[in-house]
Amino acid sequence: MACVAALVASHLTRRFDSRVAVADLSFELARGEIFALLGPNGAGKTTTLRMLARLIRPTSGSVKVDGHIGFLTEAPGLWDRLTVAQNLLVYAKLHGLDDPGRAVDEALDVFDIGSRKNDRAAQLSKGLKQRVALARTLLHRPDIVLLDEPTSGLDPESAREVRELILRLRHENRAVLISTHNLDEVERVADRVAVLRSRLVALDTPAALRARLFGSRLLITLTGDAGGFSEMLRHIAGDVRASGPTLSIGVADVERAAPAIVRALVEAGADIVAVVPEEAPLEDVYLRLLAADPP
Amino acid sequence: MKRIAALLGKELADLRGNPAVFVPAVITGVVSIVMPFLIAVVVPHFTGERLSDSSDFRIALEMYRDQPATRALDPEGAIQAMIFQQFLILLVLTPVAGAMSVAAYAVVGEKQARTLEPLLATPITTFELLAAKVLGALIPGIVLVTTCFALYVGGAVAFAHPGVYQTLFFPRALLTIFLLGPLAALAALQMAVCVSSRVNDARSAQQIGALVILPISALLVAEFTNNFQLTSSVILQISAGLAVLNLALMLIGIRLFDRESILTRWK
Repeated sequence: MACVAALVASHLTRRFDSRVAVADLSFELARGEIFALLGPNGAGKTTTLRMLARLIRPTSGSVKVDGHIGFLTEAPGLWDRLTVAQNLLVYAKLHGLDDPGRAVDEALDVFDIGSRKNDRAAQLSKGLKQRVALARTLLHRPDIVLLDEPTSGLDPESAREVRELILRLRHENRAVLISTHNLDEVERVADRVAVLRSRLVALDTPAALRARLFGSRLLITLTGDAGGFSEMLRHIAGDVRASGPTLSIGVADVERAAPAIVRALVEAGADIVAVVPEEAPLEDVYLRLLAADPP
Repeated sequence: MKRIAALLGKELADLRGNPAVFVPAVITGVVSIVMPFLIAVVVPHFTGERLSDSSDFRIALEMYRDQPATRALDPEGAIQAMIFQQFLILLVLTPVAGAMSVAAYAVVGEKQARTLEPLLATPITTFELLAAKVLGALIPGIVLVTTCFALYVGGAVAFAHPGVYQTLFFPRALLTIFLLGPLAALAALQMAVCVSSRVNDARSAQQIGALVILPISALLVAEFTNNFQLTSSVILQISAGLAVLNLALMLIGIRLFDRESILTRWK
């Protein structure tokens, strides 16, 4: 991960009348980083994105941005009666690009939508609309990309295509912030996760959040019953659970502990089938974080 | 200017994809053209009664023939010219009617179609956005009224008494169509766009914008009843007033257009 901050949010707060939508939110977003904003409905994710995109002002706090911002709104927001190319061309001109026509041609090519450029937006599938909206978001080559629910409502194939496009942004060293409910998506693409419930509940890498809440565990599958080995392993690792042919062992650091445990098991005569780090689903992490921080 | 042109291009392309929105304007234009021909040409032709024999037109004829430019016309031609001139005011309603539904939909429509937020995320200013919206509704209206006026003149050349068509090129007529009309339409549009920025429903904007039709209708009635002469100097005075009103409406529109409120409170 790169370490140059492209965007710094400091103590962002936004009230709507007496309701606090976002409270004292601070984080940094680095170039080449994909940062996920997770939270239940009404947690302030869209309000946060709108403040970062300068569409609404924070009640207090500030946003520092180094570069241009591209904002993919929750709905694709294409003009239905215009063609794909016309939709993109208007935005290329609104962004004041030097050669709007060429920028559109490049976007059509990069997003593989050239064959549909003369189709009206109304004729496109939801997945294609989202791809066009993403092309529109990136037309002016923004350094920071804000994506509000980019795969919401898409079928798995379209969602995968959008995820691949998001991963491509990281390779292009852009800073990407995704607001989403989709934990699987976060698992697949995000470098860091912020869990939001009006205020920041947690912020870290998915692995660190897991380790913090569930600890690190090693899962070892043997050919026979694993119960006979659990007592022996407790001398190496305190937390050992056996279930049928499987041992689940709590360790401080999986990579450091695994060789010694495997060696001990082999010396004790165990036939090992598989050794894998045991990862709690991100959903469990998310739910536990929210449960520990009621509204 | 480039951003206004970009969004204006979108507005016009959008309208090309939805020509039905101009049906009310086309109907207004057709009625404005057909009505005077019915009264001045068709009815006298089929009834055999000359307009100049009707006492209803005698006073109007004398008033109208006071104008030096029409003294050369025969009595029938002078009354036809008077009728054609009076109905020009009705033609002013064409761009107003045409653009009203477009302008009323301007902001509400973008919001309802969820296209407003990405648009506001670009560097476009409120002035540029509103200017493009107003021009996008005004330009087709002006094209329509110009077409209607060309047909009006063509009809007068073909069916009216000789020389009547020339009265449609008097300053009064040209000022009515090409100055008063666009300025009235612009005022109506700006009112509709202002209202469109503050309501969630395009129909509310249409209803309030349509109020501009009332003073225009009043002018028409006043002329028909010979209570009022819409001379070139009166048209210029009204136009000056409308120009000031339009400037004020533009400033009010910019103040009323609250981006945050539109994004966060409208559902």
